[in-house]
Amino acid sequence: MTHLHATEQDVLTEAAVVAEPTPAKHGANFIVFLVGGILVVLAVIFGLGLRHQQQTQPTEGFAPLFTLQTLSGEAISLESLRGQVVVINFWASWCGPCRSEAAELEAAWQRYKDQGVVFLGIAYTDTERNAQAYLQEFGITYPNGLDYQTKISAQYRITGVPETFIIDREGHINEFVMVPLNQGQISAMIERALTKGQNQP
Amino acid sequence: MKTLVKVTLVLVLIVMAFAAVTLSVSAQDDPRRPVSDDEVNAVSKKLYCPVCENITLDTCGTLACAQWRDEVRILLSEGNTPEQVIENFVVRFGDRVVGTPVDPLLRAIALITPWVFSAAVLVGVAVVFFRWRSEGTHTAPMAAKRSTEKTPNATHSLEDYRARLESDLAARR
Repeated sequence: MTHLHATEQDVLTEAAVVAEPTPAKHGANFIVFLVGGILVVLAVIFGLGLRHQQQTQPTEGFAPLFTLQTLSGEAISLESLRGQVVVINFWASWCGPCRSEAAELEAAWQRYKDQGVVFLGIAYTDTERNAQAYLQEFGITYPNGLDYQTKISAQYRITGVPETFIIDREGHINEFVMVPLNQGQISAMIERALTKGQNQP
Repeated sequence: MKTLVKVTLVLVLIVMAFAAVTLSVSAQDDPRRPVSDDEVNAVSKKLYCPVCENITLDTCGTLACAQWRDEVRILLSEGNTPEQVIENFVVRFGDRVVGTPVDPLLRAIALITPWVFSAAVLVGVAVVFFRWRSEGTHTAPMAAKRSTEKTPNATHSLEDYRARLESDLAARR
């Protein structure tokens, strides 16, 4: 019985001591929470960054609305062009591929300007001086403007220039391309946008 | 012959005088001043390439950067200060050209947050470290005290247990 008494007493005493959280355990908990908090914050930051990076150009749905201040001083809002097919071309005077499609775009504009098609050129991170020189060099006559504070290009999440969006009569993005275009390709895209909705009852 | 030389000299002097006057007048008309490459680079160091990631204008070799450096030179030559040139770029191309938000509040948050975060972690680690150190010296006596405090209760419950056991045994007999 003496042996039993000593053993059980020891067990009960130890159990009582173990059941109470020690100060050292409090410290360990604090570190676990601290590290966990840091990991959660880092994961959130990383996730948001990744999400932002993975965002691509819109290829469907309503085209983001904007108002373009043209280099000739006119303000053109995309909303006011509803009912017409709109070709939005992002370009820059420092962009080599843009130069190869500049004359093609102007030729397409000349062909479609009286058929309910509007062209808008948006100069990305360009200076007014260089943009004007570029437009003069290629004899471009459709409305062009600078993308102040790169707000329009941010809305369309462009990743470079040239990039072209075709907006249909209802204001939806009909097509998007991120390569330099020739007149045949531009015409085909415009034709598809023009015929859209005509075949539907 | 001498007369001819004299007339020629006088004509040359007159032409030179006219040329000097014309040049000085055109120089006064043009408000631009010559800008050195160092001045352009000093501003370009604070602006970022519109095409590349994290490359400043002064070290970037793209045509876009070359055009922007030209723009910096023109703005400086027109009498703008470096700060005004940078502000001009921010107004036209947005905050990204300077790499940090221009809004004072956002800029403060962007610049201070990493330091505050690091300081909080350091303080947390320091607190835990010093707590461990101070607890290490007290742990042994406290544990001994706790063990003596717990003994009467434990003995009491053990006695109850023993009493119940004895009564059970007696009942079986």
